[in-house]
Amino acid sequence: MPQPESFRTDLLAAIPSLRAFGVSLAQNADRADDLVQETLVKAWDKQDSFEQGTNLKAWLFTILRNEFYSQMRKRGREVQDSDGIITQKMAVHPGQLGVLDLADFKAALATLPADQREAIILIGASGFSYEEAAEICNCAVGTIKSRVSRARTRLQQILSVSGEADFGPDAISAQVIASTAA
Amino acid sequence: MSDKVSEKRAKKPNAAASLGPNAEIGRKLKQYYESLIAEEVPDRFAQLLSRLDSAEAKLEKD
Repeated sequence: MPQPESFRTDLLAAIPSLRAFGVSLAQNADRADDLVQETLVKAWDKQDSFEQGTNLKAWLFTILRNEFYSQMRKRGREVQDSDGIITQKMAVHPGQLGVLDLADFKAALATLPADQREAIILIGASGFSYEEAAEICNCAVGTIKSRVSRARTRLQQILSVSGEADFGPDAISAQVIASTAA
Repeated sequence: MSDKVSEKRAKKPNAAASLGPNAEIGRKLKQYYESLIAEEVPDRFAQLLSRLDSAEAKLEKD
């Protein structure tokens, strides 16, 4: 069992990361704070089950993520954006490499299905390995890899940021150009 | 000097490097996340932990 004093200190230290992950998942600061609160209470109650020496942040992220999905189920909400519906509604910005606005990026991130968003956040921003992310999300490493890859592709499309091999107009703007010409 | 740079690159974890082909997406992702981390943490969390801690101390005493 962890030392109570250090456990509390470690929890405190993890709060900014937990909130960041919570906001990324819930896309709403108030809901994220509720998730963090639930996570802290659950972590406190289950502290005996935390194996010392293992990754506390990963353990806490797992609790927060489970809480998020169980709340989603209770609310009967659709967790996934059925592929692309919201994305298509979103305005496509003719962004150029290096001039991406953070607000545009947030809006684009919000259109990702929750499973892709959490994967790209865990890998690209929270500093977890694929193995750790797979454990947090309770899925296979390959699943995380493919979610990250789909998330990246989707963000590239929405933000019109060209990948390394693609310098031409993307499919959507190509269509726009074609219909304008016709 | 160029050796140093390549050594640095080699040390980069695989996971983060996967966002490398599109550096702009990776950079924005980190910028977004760091802006969230930098937000002020509401006091209620520290207070909550104090309450949990003292509730437990009380239980142990009783």
